Amino acid sequence: MHHLTKTRWALAVYAALFLVFLYGPFVVMGILSFQQGPEGGPQFPIIEWSTYWYQHVIGIAPASRVAPLPVGDALIRSLSLAFATMVVSTILGTLTAQAFRTKFKGSGFVFYLVVLGMMVPGVLLGLGMSLVAAQFGIDRNWWSTAFVLHVVYTFPFAFLVMLAIFNRFDASVEEASLALGVSPRRTFQKVTFPIIFPGILSAMLFAFTLSYDEFPRTLFTGGSQVTMPLAIYGTFSVEIHPNLFAFGVLTTLFSFALLSVYAILMGLSARRLSVRSTGIQEDVT
Amino acid sequence: MTHISDSQNTDQRRFFQRYAPYFLLAPGVTWMALFLVIPLVMMVYVSFWTQTTFAISSDLTTKSWVTFFSSETYFGALLRTIRIWLTVLFFTFLLGYPIALFIGLFVRSKTVQTLLLVACVIPFWTSFLIRVLAWRPMLGKEGAVNLVLQKIGVISQPIEVLLFTELSVVIGMVQIYVVFMVGPIAFMLSRIDGSLLEAARDIGATPLMTFRRVIFPLSLPGVTVGAIFVSVMVLGEFATASALSGRKVNLLGNIIVTQVGSLKWAFAAVIGVVLTIVMAIVITALLRLVNLREEL
Repeated sequence: MHHLTKTRWALAVYAALFLVFLYGPFVVMGILSFQQGPEGGPQFPIIEWSTYWYQHVIGIAPASRVAPLPVGDALIRSLSLAFATMVVSTILGTLTAQAFRTKFKGSGFVFYLVVLGMMVPGVLLGLGMSLVAAQFGIDRNWWSTAFVLHVVYTFPFAFLVMLAIFNRFDASVEEASLALGVSPRRTFQKVTFPIIFPGILSAMLFAFTLSYDEFPRTLFTGGSQVTMPLAIYGTFSVEIHPNLFAFGVLTTLFSFALLSVYAILMGLSARRLSVRSTGIQEDVT
Repeated sequence: MTHISDSQNTDQRRFFQRYAPYFLLAPGVTWMALFLVIPLVMMVYVSFWTQTTFAISSDLTTKSWVTFFSSETYFGALLRTIRIWLTVLFFTFLLGYPIALFIGLFVRSKTVQTLLLVACVIPFWTSFLIRVLAWRPMLGKEGAVNLVLQKIGVISQPIEVLLFTELSVVIGMVQIYVVFMVGPIAFMLSRIDGSLLEAARDIGATPLMTFRRVIFPLSLPGVTVGAIFVSVMVLGEFATASALSGRKVNLLGNIIVTQVGSLKWAFAAVIGVVLTIVMAIVITALLRLVNLREEL
């Protein structure tokens, strides 16, 4: 047993080092986002601490040779694209997973067809789709050709999440409700939906984040109006400036906010479920 | 009359019940057929088109294929992609397994387990491209790594091979993708029944033997799932390579991007098909080791 305690400590120390490796670039990014501007570059040493690059991102900094990030338009496009993708892929994922609750012919084929959507590299799908678009004379836009590929990418995640939820789902609760003469619609509202709600939330979260950050698929199919990741990718070829780091810090904070909302909703749903199950009789009738 | 309509009604209901799964599947399957299968088929088709400098025509030819396999640049990119993929896969396993072991087996409290996993996932809330770019000020000649190493006196001269080399691409990819290896392995390890380990100890197995005979075999499905994740992402990569190698390291993905940029659709399609074949071989081989549907 003495031996194992040693192993545990060794692994704990390693885990700490591992986290340093994971977070190192972020700490550096956070520090450099406070670099002096607009002359200060994205490297050490810090010439002087300032919030110039944050002002630059939100567009209140005095004009300089550094082109501002297209935060307004590109961000709105990315968010609307992510929202639409989230809605469609969650619906498709839930429907498909619901179908998998009964055994049917060809389920293996359908399973791998759907999962293929998350396995095929984005660059291949983007290429294939732009070839199709070129062949049939379809205009390439972020809300058309890019959007359908985003769903191809996120729908499998939603499907797998919902499948895992349905696998742990006790169908007898539903059957009991139906046997007691509750209509299928009301059963879905009062019994099925509350149980699968956490799954739906996770599926939505997955789809939203993946689509929001997606770019190899969008690169070839997004057309001339760029989304946020494409705007960042555009800076790869030219010099990078600390405004990207400031933007990175801001978006990370935004993600934190989004995840807090998710955690709160999850907590509420868990609480409501326990309250409901005590008073379910009055509620159903 | 009512009797007939009743039986008609049940007939209808039976029909719907029997085919219910197919109605539910229709939207999803149609979507995948239209926007996943057709583009991929189109890519294979276009790879046999005739490419000239300024135009592309649908006369079928294998010229682009011959060009791919006879060109040093293109074929070299294939080999480089495979080499970098294997390197990244190896290091994500090497660095990830101990973490998974710690989280999945050594941490007893569920809360600490969750906290550690969340700590591993937090970096993913930053945009992928910014995560890649964040490595530049880390690895540069005056970057953080060199600064720290010089401060503590490990080196006297800054290491210059850290940035804009194949090494920097590998470092960046390992950091970005290692979590996809940690997650599945930790999940499999946390499912191991504690009484199994006790039993091993009771019959006199040393901790190392228990690891080799019990723990490691049981974690293998997790390793396979992790390997699938990492392979899928690394093989299709181009952004990390172009950002951290200064466009010196060209993977198959980078070549596709360049070819599309210069409107060489047929060449791009050929490389796309090659990449698809490599992926298909890798994924089928890995899927033979694990049944994805049963691991859910």
